[in-house]
Amino acid sequence: MDRNIRVLIAKPGLDGHDRGALVIAQALRDHGMEVIYTGLRQSPGQIARAAIQEDVDVIGLSSLSGAHRTLFPKVIAALKEQNAEDIPVIGGGVIPYEDIPYLEEQGIKKVFTPGTPTDTIARFIQELVDPDAKKVTEPPKKIAHIGIAVQKLDDVMSFYHDILGLKLKGIEEVPSEGVKVAFFEIGETSIELLEPMNDDSPIQKFIEKRGEGIHHIALEVQDIEERLKQYKNQDVPLIHETPKAGAYNSRIAFLHPKAANGVLYELCEHKGE
Amino acid sequence: MGQKRFEKQQKQWEQEVEKATSRFPERKDAFTTSSDIPVDRLYLPEDPDEHYVENLGFPGQYPYTRGIQPTMYRSRFWTMRQYAGFGSAKETNKRFRYLLEQGQTGLSVAFDLPTQIGYDSDDPMAEGEVGKVGVAIDSLKDMEDLFDAIPLDKVSTSMTINAPASVLLAMYIAVGEKQGVSKEKLTGTIQNDILKEYIARGTYIFPPKPSMRLITNIFEYCQQHVPKFNTISISGYHIREAGSTAVQEVAFTLANGMAYVDAALESGLKVDQFAPRLAFFFNAHNNFFEEIAKFRAARRIWAKMMKEHYGAENPKSWKLRFHTQTGGSTLTAQQPDNNIVRVTLQALAAVLGGTQSLHTNSRDEALALPTEESARIALRTQQIIAHESGVADTVDPLGGSYYIEELTDQIEKEVEAYIEKIKELGGAVQAIEEGYMQREIHQSAYEAQKRIESKEDIVVGMNEFQIDEELNAELLRVDEKLEHDQKKNVQNVRNTRDESKVNDTLSRLRNAAKDEKENLMPHILDAVKAYATVGEICNVLRDEFGEYTGM
Repeated sequence: MDRNIRVLIAKPGLDGHDRGALVIAQALRDHGMEVIYTGLRQSPGQIARAAIQEDVDVIGLSSLSGAHRTLFPKVIAALKEQNAEDIPVIGGGVIPYEDIPYLEEQGIKKVFTPGTPTDTIARFIQELVDPDAKKVTEPPKKIAHIGIAVQKLDDVMSFYHDILGLKLKGIEEVPSEGVKVAFFEIGETSIELLEPMNDDSPIQKFIEKRGEGIHHIALEVQDIEERLKQYKNQDVPLIHETPKAGAYNSRIAFLHPKAANGVLYELCEHKGE
Repeated sequence: MGQKRFEKQQKQWEQEVEKATSRFPERKDAFTTSSDIPVDRLYLPEDPDEHYVENLGFPGQYPYTRGIQPTMYRSRFWTMRQYAGFGSAKETNKRFRYLLEQGQTGLSVAFDLPTQIGYDSDDPMAEGEVGKVGVAIDSLKDMEDLFDAIPLDKVSTSMTINAPASVLLAMYIAVGEKQGVSKEKLTGTIQNDILKEYIARGTYIFPPKPSMRLITNIFEYCQQHVPKFNTISISGYHIREAGSTAVQEVAFTLANGMAYVDAALESGLKVDQFAPRLAFFFNAHNNFFEEIAKFRAARRIWAKMMKEHYGAENPKSWKLRFHTQTGGSTLTAQQPDNNIVRVTLQALAAVLGGTQSLHTNSRDEALALPTEESARIALRTQQIIAHESGVADTVDPLGGSYYIEELTDQIEKEVEAYIEKIKELGGAVQAIEEGYMQREIHQSAYEAQKRIESKEDIVVGMNEFQIDEELNAELLRVDEKLEHDQKKNVQNVRNTRDESKVNDTLSRLRNAAKDEKENLMPHILDAVKAYATVGEICNVLRDEFGEYTGM
């Protein structure tokens, strides 16, 4: 989305309890949304008009007086009358659970009952407004490692270990990729040295084509499977469409270098992190 | 020096006990624990210092830190007053009679939102709200039904009504007259606290200035004609529910109290004429000792203010009498039975803090209005504290606790700092118009929410210790048909009354409203007796006063 999500928080009817409405308005602002609060005593028609004028992406209704069964559906009806039924409406307040199916039937997208964390509401709105945003709500957290292709580990180990003084985390063979790797810890990330184990190894091919040097950047992510599906839907060129086993009990997948104008990126999800 | 004053205070207290007990004997001849250890009326420091004499003293004595009566609950328990009302007047009348039969000692009326905001049930603004959060009252006819077969000289009635308080009070007076009970005999309380409506509760109609006029009109009228009625219940309850801290609750409430006193003085009343009829209404939340200290501090601050700042001479003007309700916003929708335990702790805090009356919330109020069963458990909670726990057998049992006294002093200090700040802003009315209190409360509310979400604050059953639960408790529903019936009722009243009389009284009210010197109460009473509706009366005043539209 190229602009912030805009939300109208509204108090239909005569109810004066707006602590919840105000707290949610503030929380959504803290989530980067633009929030317009109508103030008290708004009629369904006024709420619909305000939503249209303010060009909001979603309307949040709050009622603690028991009038929700009458007033929430009236807001939906008022939106329809003004040809704005595409604006989704959510609600909350003191609403008995048994009323929720009725309200949802009437077109309320979701009813949040007391005790719902504001984060949950913010996430719901983000996904409601931009369904594509669903799986990438969390950007990659950090650089997991930087991969460097080397012909022989033994030839370069002393630079990293003795000269730079980095701590060697370990050496491991990854037969699926035909590589032997050495990890050096540096801050919260690492440097991964990759040595081809045989002539068919992609690393061997890389070295033959472009010489030794930086091979890829690995990004630490969550939900690697979902994310790959999502990227595929967004036409991101992939080398691996499903994750495979990586070093240190991780699951990895490579994006095609075309995805980032020649830089090879690896996605990497560590279990238990 | 300290010792001498202490002995003098003690002597005076003993005399007052003597006087009080001869009128209202204590509940028992002798109070003892289960082990037969005698329980004294009051426990005192062995070596009272100046600080004790100055700030604590004896119950029933200035500055009332230890309570406003010399024997407190040894003579009489607090009034158990459960707030109730829903649907039609007839239905609520049945609940009232049920509660009185169950041993409740006072009535407390909840009105629906259209009544509270001065709309008749058939007004388009009332749609969906009729009879939902309280009883719908349109005309005197409904009020007659509400108190049918309840003798108004035998019960005291508290009415949660603010912007149209004058109208509902007039209706209550008129019902009394029809029952043959004179105005002078009526007892009860109207909330009548408009300032906290602007701050926190939202059922305002008119702008602050004419609203304050209506309030002082009521003070003056009642002082002359309804002398036993509490003319206002200055409320911190809703300020707290809106998210304030305990300190803010007391500070903003007492600041509002000062604004009412100032307005009444400005209108020409003398402080001792109306101050004895000022009552307060506080919340009881979960932080047990802080709540107890809060009540004690509030009493002390108000007493000092009335005596030293306003120069009141009647000790009744110094006494902060208050009603307490347990904290609605502390209840959880999850595992609602846990709420019974929360309510118990909160009610206990109110009792240890020396409340005059108490409403205990029902366990299901985070979900809906309480069922009869839940309302009964809530009342039983108070009865258990009163009759089984023994906490009411000695006065101010926590007085002298290092922790409680330190908290009381600290709260007093912080409240005074807030009150000073509000004075600098030009007083409570000015501070409200600038949104100062609203912002302070909102900030506290948001911080509380963040603490809950980060689990810095644990709410049992909600953000910790959750269970998978079936969420289909039995809840009270207000029949949707009621709105329809109530609309017909009010139209019926309009069709059968003497229309010329209604027009006549309303136009006299309109003229009176134009004249700032005129007391509106007699005119409102006339209109009410002619069966003019709440909406009609408020619409006349809307025309003259304008409407408040919020920040």
